[in-house]
Amino acid sequence: MKIHRRSILEALLIITAAIVLGFAYTFVTKQGFFSSEDTAISAVNTNMEMISLEKAKELHESHDALFIDSRHDYEYKMGHIHGSINITLNEIDTNSIMLEDIPKEKALIIYCDGAECNSSIELALKLIELKFINVKIFFGGWQEWKTHNYPVDY
Amino acid sequence: MKSFLTNPILILLVRVTLGAIFVISSLDKIADPAAFTVSILNYKVVGQLLATMTATILPALELLCGLGLILGLYPRTSALIIILMLIVFTVLIISALLRGLDISCGCFSQDPNVNKIGFIKILENVGMIILGIWLLCVHNYGITLTQFFPQKKTKPVD
Repeated sequence: MKIHRRSILEALLIITAAIVLGFAYTFVTKQGFFSSEDTAISAVNTNMEMISLEKAKELHESHDALFIDSRHDYEYKMGHIHGSINITLNEIDTNSIMLEDIPKEKALIIYCDGAECNSSIELALKLIELKFINVKIFFGGWQEWKTHNYPVDY
Repeated sequence: MKSFLTNPILILLVRVTLGAIFVISSLDKIADPAAFTVSILNYKVVGQLLATMTATILPALELLCGLGLILGLYPRTSALIIILMLIVFTVLIISALLRGLDISCGCFSQDPNVNKIGFIKILENVGMIILGIWLLCVHNYGITLTQFFPQKKTKPVD
């Protein structure tokens, strides 16, 4: 009984220390609760347009937009939206040369695997930082596109 | 078999390994709480407020429990908290898989394209739970910081 009481007290001590440490760290670094924005909110704040499958298909057929696949290259090689190019989050940090030929006003449609991944949002935010003004996210991504048997490349 | 399971060197090795896994897994979450919040939200179990709160506290808890095991500071309690965390993580992963979510687990890296949830991830967690239970059952942890703390003297039994 004594051991159980001691374990509970130790657990409370560790959890309290974690709460204090977590809040102190995020307060000092202005992150989490103390951040003015986070990734999800910044996507809304930048007026980034989230487009549906129908809209994505329409833009694809008009050839007015450039589709960018933000997944890893091996996923891209296993199948991607017809005509899309592959730019990952790591590549955009280390190699921005590939973006030099793309006009800043070009409509860019960013997608990843599907609604459950967020690399498309993060890549889109990076592109906006790089002064691209017409960035849209196709939230349904590869999974939705493939399911509807729309044009793909392998 | 019993002497193998209570071998102090082996216990120290398990303590340091499990502790190091938790320390390492906490670092990426501590570095980017916003990305970890998104990883939690991807499970579609909690709202923004609870996700942000979890992203604030959980990495610190992982770090403290990991260090607790490595340094031997309250090792039994650290192991107990780690087991409870792993059970919750495993239930969340199974629930996400059953709901057909194709998400990254957010365990070691907040890169949304790596560490996808799956059967392997569940096996990893079960393995760590077994190691945790092992640590919970042993009595001699070898060298620990706790043993340098002043202990209350107990009356000798007549």
